[in-house]
Amino acid sequence: MRSTTSIEPPPPRTGHGFPRASDADHARLGRARQTEPVTAAIETEELTRAFPSGVAVDHLSFRLEPGRVLALLGPNGAGKTTTVRLLNGVLRPDLGRARVLGFDPAIEGEEVRRRTGVLTENAGLDDRLTTRENLLFTARLRGFSPATASRRVDELLERFGMADRADDLTQGFSTGQRKRVALARALLHDPEVLFLDEPTSGLDPAGTRDVINLISRLAGEGRTIVLATHFLGEAGRLADQMAVVHRGRLRAFGAPEELAHDLWEGIGAHVDLGRPASDGTLAAIGAVPGVLETSTAAQGASLRVRGRDTVAAVVATLVGRDVPVYGAEGRAPSLEDVYFEIERRILVETGDLAVTDGFLHQSEAAV
Amino acid sequence: MSPDRDAIRTVMRKDITAVRRSKAIMLPMILVPLILIVVLPVSIGLLARNAPTDQVQNALTSPLVKSLVQPILDLPEREQLVVLVLGYLLSPLLLVIPLMVSAVLAADAFAGEKERRTLETLLHLPITDRDLFVAKVLGAFVPAVVITWVSAALYTVICDVIAWPVMHRPFLPFWQFAVMIAWVAPAVALLALGLLVVVSSRARTTQEANQLGGAVILPLIFVAAAWASGLLLAPVWSVVVAGALLWLVAIGLLQLNARRFTRDRLATAA
Repeated sequence: MRSTTSIEPPPPRTGHGFPRASDADHARLGRARQTEPVTAAIETEELTRAFPSGVAVDHLSFRLEPGRVLALLGPNGAGKTTTVRLLNGVLRPDLGRARVLGFDPAIEGEEVRRRTGVLTENAGLDDRLTTRENLLFTARLRGFSPATASRRVDELLERFGMADRADDLTQGFSTGQRKRVALARALLHDPEVLFLDEPTSGLDPAGTRDVINLISRLAGEGRTIVLATHFLGEAGRLADQMAVVHRGRLRAFGAPEELAHDLWEGIGAHVDLGRPASDGTLAAIGAVPGVLETSTAAQGASLRVRGRDTVAAVVATLVGRDVPVYGAEGRAPSLEDVYFEIERRILVETGDLAVTDGFLHQSEAAV
Repeated sequence: MSPDRDAIRTVMRKDITAVRRSKAIMLPMILVPLILIVVLPVSIGLLARNAPTDQVQNALTSPLVKSLVQPILDLPEREQLVVLVLGYLLSPLLLVIPLMVSAVLAADAFAGEKERRTLETLLHLPITDRDLFVAKVLGAFVPAVVITWVSAALYTVICDVIAWPVMHRPFLPFWQFAVMIAWVAPAVALLALGLLVVVSSRARTTQEANQLGGAVILPLIFVAAAWASGLLLAPVWSVVVAGALLWLVAIGLLQLNARRFTRDRLATAA
């Protein structure tokens, strides 16, 4: 199931107004700009880490090119946060190794952490400090001089719409405000790689939209982003690569469309007939060359077809039989479709999902 | 690898700023010294100033303690009780201050970070394990020593003022007292931190760290106070040697703990 197809990174994209650290800033931070492009932003080989409660990350191997946005997907306890901790050198692996921007986090943790920014699931702001103090603390630890730190913090507070709360204690901030401050903190040093762990958890719809828009702009600047989440909507909107982790094991890795190609033949399509398709109509659709599967839907028929041309042929056939067609579209599977199909197959494979009485039942162990 | 002094200073400064704004932490750090340096010497000092001297003589001239208390017996009778109480019985309690302040700040150092859910963020920053450990230890050690020294200075002034009608001269600090405060008290603070920083890094909450730390610190408080009472009557060189031994034990303990301290352990204990 794992796709190993190498994908060229997208061309560098222009920024969208986020203040970037200057070359002088990078020199001050004790890290030189990469003069030669690294071939992989992140690379892991058989990365494994166990806790007394069990194996959290189990022989994880993948490679992510620079500038990509990877959605690290899986249910709670799948090992997403542990993976981020391993990649940023907070935890040491029991087996295997990782390289982030060419550095081994287990040995060169400081070098990795100098170049990465992390948004943890909890914003992790010290409520006894003001917004500015929280950011200045991080900026100083990242090696900024007091004057540069102050300038950079002001820029980011302005950009993230928190300038008017700069001197307020963060105690009492809404979850959305905390996330914005935490994102600003993660971007202080203009990191090459961003780890975002559940960036929208606990946010209301407006806050979720704001944070997704922010991340989308960051991705637009060509940063490598690892998005550990179980919110598939945001992952689908932001990610061009997905990794499905289940009980610490990588079960699928690649672009959603590639994985979809591995999972299913053809593409999905829907024909809107204004009412459920009759058996005769389904039979007529099924006879069209290129139609692979048909089923009745509430407002017509759901199909699986070889390509978009087949959809046009289906419409022509139905019109020729005087069946009213209100609409038809071929639809590539979304990241969400791909994820659920992979999860379904994993559960069936592991015996955690059984079909009885015509219904799918997930065993308690798998929940 | 040489320590990153800027990083250590930054973590220390942040911790001290945050602590200064926490009532739950500041209250015991103000109240305990206040009781020890104001309430006790003023109340007991006033009583001692006006007490009859014959009872003191009887207590001090018993054969067992006579040799130990010779410096007090050498004083005029009216001065003996004041010097005994303020100089030799109450002043060892000042060693409670570095122990108590260290305990409170050590509990906040790591367990507090976990409780406030700020530890994860800290672990993702580019500071080495060693520098983080040093910063956390110094962030508790420096305030503990400063508070102890300021308290001892105030205690000295208060005692000399209270005793003035009897003594007509300042009697504190005497050499043993000065060495105990300047040399022994910081070693006591460091020893407490050597024990408590590890407790704090393993505990999940400040309350848990305080409970576990209390079990370590309470016996230490009694031992320190009792030990210091005897030490103040001993020759100055023996106070210096005792302090040096404490420093050695404290530094050894801290080095041992520093070697075992990793962000991996800290993250997995959270």
